[in-house]
Formats: sequence, C-alpha cells, structure tokens
Amino acid sequence: MPLRIDVTCAPALTVGEIMADVMNVGVNLEAFSQAINAIQALRSSVTRVFDSLKDGMKNKETLEGREKAFIAEFQDNLQSVNRDLTELERLSNLVGRPSESHPLHNSGLLSLDPVQDKTPLYSQLLQAYKWSNKLQYHAGLASSLLNQQSLKRSANQIGASAKRRPKVQPSTLVLPIQYVDDVISRIGRMFPDMSIELFRPNGTSAVLLVTLGKVLKAIVVMRSLFIDRTIVRGYHENVHSEDGKLDIWSKSNYQVFQKVTDHATTALLHYQLPQMPDVVVRSFMTWLRSYIKLFQTPCQRCGKFLQDGLPPTWRDFRTLEAFHDTCRQ
Amino acid sequence: MGVTCVCQVPVAEGKSVQQTVDQLHKKLEQLGAVKQGSFFVDCETYHATGNASGQPSKLLYVMHNSETPLSCMALFEGGPYLTADANFDVLMVKLKSHFQNAKGHKVESRGARYRYCDFLVKVGTVTMSSSARGISVEVEYCACVVPGDCWNLMKEFMQSFLGSNVPEIPSVFTSKPEGLFAPADCMDTMSQYLELFSKVRKQQVLPGSSVR
Repeated sequence: MPLRIDVTCAPALTVGEIMADVMNVGVNLEAFSQAINAIQALRSSVTRVFDSLKDGMKNKETLEGREKAFIAEFQDNLQSVNRDLTELERLSNLVGRPSESHPLHNSGLLSLDPVQDKTPLYSQLLQAYKWSNKLQYHAGLASSLLNQQSLKRSANQIGASAKRRPKVQPSTLVLPIQYVDDVISRIGRMFPDMSIELFRPNGTSAVLLVTLGKVLKAIVVMRSLFIDRTIVRGYHENVHSEDGKLDIWSKSNYQVFQKVTDHATTALLHYQLPQMPDVVVRSFMTWLRSYIKLFQTPCQRCGKFLQDGLPPTWRDFRTLEAFHDTCRQ
Repeated sequence: MGVTCVCQVPVAEGKSVQQTVDQLHKKLEQLGAVKQGSFFVDCETYHATGNASGQPSKLLYVMHNSETPLSCMALFEGGPYLTADANFDVLMVKLKSHFQNAKGHKVESRGARYRYCDFLVKVGTVTMSSSARGISVEVEYCACVVPGDCWNLMKEFMQSFLGSNVPEIPSVFTSKPEGLFAPADCMDTMSQYLELFSKVRKQQVLPGSSVR
C-alpha cells in the first residue's frame, strides 16, 4: 500500500496567530517600555561615572578641596548608577518571563525579528514544524495500518529487537525432518495431478520439485515448514543445472512463467499462519494447483485468453479464479 | 519447443504475394512483435526405385529447418519419420540407386521471424522452382507443450493478425492419443509443412501449367 502524505493541507496555526501569541502571553508591555528607559538611564549614569573618572580632579585652590570635590562627584555618580540599577531590577520583575509553554519555545521569538522580509526564517521554521508534525501523524497511521496486515512470517519476530534476540529458536523452525516429510507426502497424496519430489541438497532444509500436470514445474525452497522461496519454470525447461544439482536461482525463459513466479512469491507472503505452518504449505499448494489450466482458462473479467501476449497469470487467493494481471484490480 | 501451428494464408485479392506478406509484417509490428532474423524450411522429394511388387511406391521427403540447422528430417508419406545429422543428404546421394531425387519438386519457404512475448511467428513465401506460390505462417507458442491446452489461446492470437484466416487445429495433434503431448523435436512442425507444401504443389497442377 503506497503511503501518501498530504503536505498541502491548511496550516493548523497561521503565522499571525503565533506572533500575537508571543506578544500577549506573560509580557507586560508597559513595564517593558519602562524597563527599556531604565536601561538607557543606567547606561548614561554608568557613562557619567567613567566620564568623571576620565576627566580626573578639577582645578581647585587647594589639593584637599580638589580631592573632596572629586570623591563627592564620584559618589554621586555611583549612587545614581545604583539607583538606576535598582529601578531596572524592579521593572524586570514586572516584565515577567516569556512563556515557556509556547510550542516553539525561544525560537518563537524569531517572529519579533524586524527584518522578516529579508530573512523569512520564522515562516520557514513554522512550515518545517507543520511538516514534521504531519509526518509524525501520518507515519503513526501508516504503522498501525501495516501492523494489521503484518508481513512477518514467524511468531517470535513481534517485539523481538536486535538487542534481545530470543535464546530459543521458535518451535516451528526446528521441526523434526520426519514430520516435514510426512506433511509433504500427505499433501502430495491430496493432489493426484501434482507430483512433489523432496530433496535435501544442503543439510536439513528441504527443496521441493513440484511438477504440475504437463504445464509447469515449480521449485519450492523450504526452511523447516516455511516456504522460503519459489521459482516457476515451464514443463519442458531444465530444472537441473549443468552439474546435476537443482537450479533454484535462474528464472524461466518464458515471460508467462516469470509472471507466475512473481505471483507465487506474492502468494507466499499472503498465506501465513505462523502457528500452523502445515496449513500454509497446503494452502499454497492448493493455490499453485489452480495453474493446471493456465493455458486453458480465459480471464474471468475480460473473457479473453491473451493480454499483451500473456494468458491470465493471476489466480485469486480465495476463489482461485483466473485473471490477467491488469484485470485483477 | 512449444506448440506449433503451420497454415497457409491466401493471397489478398488484387495483391501480389509480396504485398500480402508485407501487410502481415505490418500487422505483426503494430501488435508489438519484434523482428528476429529470418528462417527457411525446404523439402526435397525422392521416389523409391526398384520396387518389385506392383504396389505404388511411397514418396520420401527430406526436409531442413533453419531452427535445427544441424539436423535433417526424412519423412515417408504417413510415417515413419526420422531425424538425422545434416550429412544425411550425402547419404541420400549414395542411395541413388534406391531413391531418386525428383528434380523440380523442391519446395521451400523463406521469410522473417518475429517474436512476440512467448510467441514465435514466421511468415514465409513458399517458392517452387523459383516462383512464389503462396504464403505460409507458422505460429509457435513456446511456453506450452500440450496442443490441446493452448489451442484456444493460439487461435485468439492468430485472429489478431490473420483475421478470418485462422486454421482449425492441425490434424497432427488431433490424431494423437494420450494427452496430445507434442514431442520435443520438430517433427510435428515438419509434417505440417509437408502437408502445406503438397497442397501448394497440387494447386500448381490445376491450371495446367505442370512443372513436371
């Protein structure tokens, strides 16, 4: 299922709304302007201190008189600095703190930047914020949807992270060989027009060679009773490679069987029931058997045999009806 | 080798053989078929000589097919059939005293070979003593080996470029017992070509301009 994220939705908050928000919440404008004035007063009184220090002692008749006048002036200046500073501290309490609950925190203050037109940082930031919000929302929806039709094929994978690998192998992966053989031979007996040969070329994993009538041959690679991979070839195509081993890799020379291979792989993912792997194999074989009339059944939708040179290669998973790949939707 | 059907396509009215062949090529290309080289099938006729009993002697046909360039097929009328190496021709020269080559009876079909999905289409001009006598169309569905299974499918395909000239299922297949399974050699194809060639030959006899 393709995940479509709509980024053109109407924004949740407009830029203007957020700016008004910053101005109102927790900021006393009156105190603010007074505080700015207080800062200016403080600066000028500090400047006066240094001015008088720079000018040094003024010319008076006696040295004592000079020193006294200088100290008195210096003290006056320092006192006015002190006074301005206290005033500023008082005002700063009135101004209050900018709201911390704002969704953008301090970056919300970017909206106060007067050069907005030249650097539209703030509006871009809001846009990015909206996108990321929306992305998170849609990803959440998608993940809950995907979880409903999970493609995981063994029971233990749910919740098992890479760190905490399960110590015991899931029971369905360590079935005794004898049991697998039994299940396969029982399935083989169910369908007289389908012959199933079982090979174990490498260790315990089984490889099945399924010959369906005179229509096709399928190689099914198993892992215990899980079907791992399947490849479908024509009845008259080679299933063995030159060294006499089963060729489980090369694809069919014919387009129709390449298509059937694709569909069979889809079927592997569709039929799954981790607790009862034998049922899965049986359902898959029942589905595969419906290809016995691959060349004889017209499409159930368009009624024709051929579309783009191919017969109806799709078989419905439930009804086993034949459709062209493009007719099935 | 899949299931093959060989049929004769009548020359369109008011058109020459070449024009009809061109028309077929055009239709195939419109369908999406891709040209893949050329092909030929030829057939020589031999009379058995020295037949002591009064029975009419069977004719022996020796055929070649570009699809199997290293082989040579020998067919008696109504069987048996035999596939041999290409130097069977040399052997036939040595057997001159038993089988005589009917000169002027050599028929061949040459033309282009098209591929469309799993179909192989060969449109050939049938010539006899270097004059065009008709058109042969061979359609092979390579993915299937049972003629009975895919006949309807092939018919639908042939309809798409032959129109109403679609043949019935070739008699080679209907006469076969058990499962209608086409063997993996090209004998079924060759016997269909043989049938077509003898039809073309008989056509020649009719207007009285016998080549014999």
